[in-house]
Amino acid sequence: MALSAGETGVPKRAGEGAAKADAAIENELMAKVLLIEDDRETAEEITSELTDRGFEVEWAADGIEGLGKARSTRPDAMIVDRLLPGMDGLTVIEALRKDQMRTPVLVLSALGAVDDRVRGLRMGGDDYLTKPFAIVELVARIEALLRRPAESRETTLRVGALELDLIERTAKRGDRAIDLLPREFRLLEYMMQRSDQLLTRAMLLEEVWNYKFVPATNLVDVHMGRLRHKVDGPDEVPMIHNVRGAGFILRTGS
Amino acid sequence: MRQPQFIRSNTFHWALAVAAVFAIFVIVLFGFIYWKTDDYLIARSDKMISRQLDFIAALPADRRIDAIGQHLGEDSRGVQYAALFDAGGRTIAGNLERIPPELKMNDIVRSVPIVRTLPSGQERREIRAIARRMPNGDALVMGREVDEAREISHVVGQALALGLLPAFLLCLLAGAWLSMRAQKRVEEVNQRVQRIIAGDLRERLPHRNVDEPFSRLAVIVNGMLDEMETMIHALEGVGNDIAHDLRTPLTRARLALERGRTNATSLEQLQAVADKAIAGIDQSLSIITALLRLAEIENSRRSAGFGNVMLQEMLREVCDLYEPIAENKNIALRVEASHRLGVRGDRDLLFEAVANLVDNAIKFTPEGGKVGIELSRAGQEIVVSVTDSGCGISEREREAVLRRFYRSDKIRNTPGVGLGLNLVAAIVRLHGFRLVIHAGPGGRVDIVCFDSQQG
Repeated sequence: MALSAGETGVPKRAGEGAAKADAAIENELMAKVLLIEDDRETAEEITSELTDRGFEVEWAADGIEGLGKARSTRPDAMIVDRLLPGMDGLTVIEALRKDQMRTPVLVLSALGAVDDRVRGLRMGGDDYLTKPFAIVELVARIEALLRRPAESRETTLRVGALELDLIERTAKRGDRAIDLLPREFRLLEYMMQRSDQLLTRAMLLEEVWNYKFVPATNLVDVHMGRLRHKVDGPDEVPMIHNVRGAGFILRTGS
Repeated sequence: MRQPQFIRSNTFHWALAVAAVFAIFVIVLFGFIYWKTDDYLIARSDKMISRQLDFIAALPADRRIDAIGQHLGEDSRGVQYAALFDAGGRTIAGNLERIPPELKMNDIVRSVPIVRTLPSGQERREIRAIARRMPNGDALVMGREVDEAREISHVVGQALALGLLPAFLLCLLAGAWLSMRAQKRVEEVNQRVQRIIAGDLRERLPHRNVDEPFSRLAVIVNGMLDEMETMIHALEGVGNDIAHDLRTPLTRARLALERGRTNATSLEQLQAVADKAIAGIDQSLSIITALLRLAEIENSRRSAGFGNVMLQEMLREVCDLYEPIAENKNIALRVEASHRLGVRGDRDLLFEAVANLVDNAIKFTPEGGKVGIELSRAGQEIVVSVTDSGCGISEREREAVLRRFYRSDKIRNTPGVGLGLNLVAAIVRLHGFRLVIHAGPGGRVDIVCFDSQQG
């Protein structure tokens, strides 16, 4: 078992060290990520960030090379720039899908170039991110892609002392019943399916509320504040954590 | 060698073609008239010859010579021929020296060549003639020179020359004039267009009266130019706005970084500086995002993705989303939507529009105030209203806010807000709905939609 850099090494930025270490804990299996990006500087930034977080990163500078590397190295996830020399990023993905490779893909697209084909990625289980992006957002989304919740028939979700009954639509923490509004229930359900995983505001907006726009107000924070107030009682150990400048994590325990 | 411009012009070619067709038509017409008249004259002359032959043949044999003499004596033009030959073919009386060999006895009138002896010499003539054998063995020949045909062809030729040539020349002149006129106008337009291309946006195409096609075209193009001039000026304004909006946070970020680099003595200080810089850059990015989104909606023509949007559910969802925020500010947010009403549109965009209005309403309403979302029907129209107990939008701003690309000075420095109403206006325009901003006190913005159920 390989130890990830984030777990043992000194974090590069002190303020984000805790979040980084937490995100890295789950990368024990050294997930392989293939990055297809033609801009060398961007590629280096992404590579060093992902390596710090315990990923094994392979880099290809154009579509054709990327397609070859995807076929030979069989990565666990791919980050593909939409505009690539040689072969368009979406064409690379289509070629891989024809080979029955279901590797999850995160497409990087310019802000003005998000069309229906790119939007369609989310429906196919993949994801996209518009350039320029925050590096935390990229890492959070790659982790989300790598740990897509398995289709489960469980009717009760359990995270630590937290229990969510999907049939009865009730929630408990230990013996304490939590009274949730429907929107709070939806949010908690989504977070429990992805416990110990950093969820950014944009991800929550897209997935929980299904909104495709960035609201002017900090909507997510307000909703999250309400939920946290109900989930974490005054004498209890907090489970919902705010990662400054990034998003939220539902932590299993201590 | 260069031909004059007008000869190469399309208009001139058309005039030439029309003239040619006209000439061919006239020539055919005249030919037909000539042919018909000639036929008629020959038939009439033939009838006359036969009648004269009948008349002389009916006379007793001894009076025929006198009759021939009298007949020829009456012919002042010298076109009549008559002769009586004996059984041996010698001339007894008349102006023919022998029976023309092509002429058969007791036949119908036909054309035969004869040789006529004149004082000036012998002359070959083509005449219409008939011959008949008399009971006493003599042969009577009557003939007539048909020179009317020649006269007619002469007249026809003259008529053609007098009528056709001037007409043809007129056609050519008209063609040349029209083509030169068109050329001149094209050149005129070209000069103006060149000036427009060179950057003089106020230049317009010349036009005289509106009934003429060329002028109508010019008026249409001028209308387009007006619209484009307005848009270009608006875009210039937007460019300045964007530059201003981006410059402010970027300048702050730059200053923070610069000062941090020289003054920061600890990691914490440097981090604070970096945070400040990132915040500035994020603000610039959010402005760019909002502008691109606005452009995307304004340029979008995708009404194909429109579906039936149930407004009641949608408004409840908006309320659900903003309720906690309103509660935090101690604002009562309520929905009044008792009817199930639907419109045709893009659900996500309409949601965004209403959400933006509610967002603004909550933001500009003081604590303890009220914000309402109402759904009502007014005749054919469905109205979604967002009301608040805030200060409302001033008269001056109300007009301006609906203008394309307008951004209020008051809210420009609030990130992500400045374009909110523009976005709403763009979405409403895309749907063909109306945005109505009411006068204060209290804010009230209506989205007036058309009822899809009633068409």
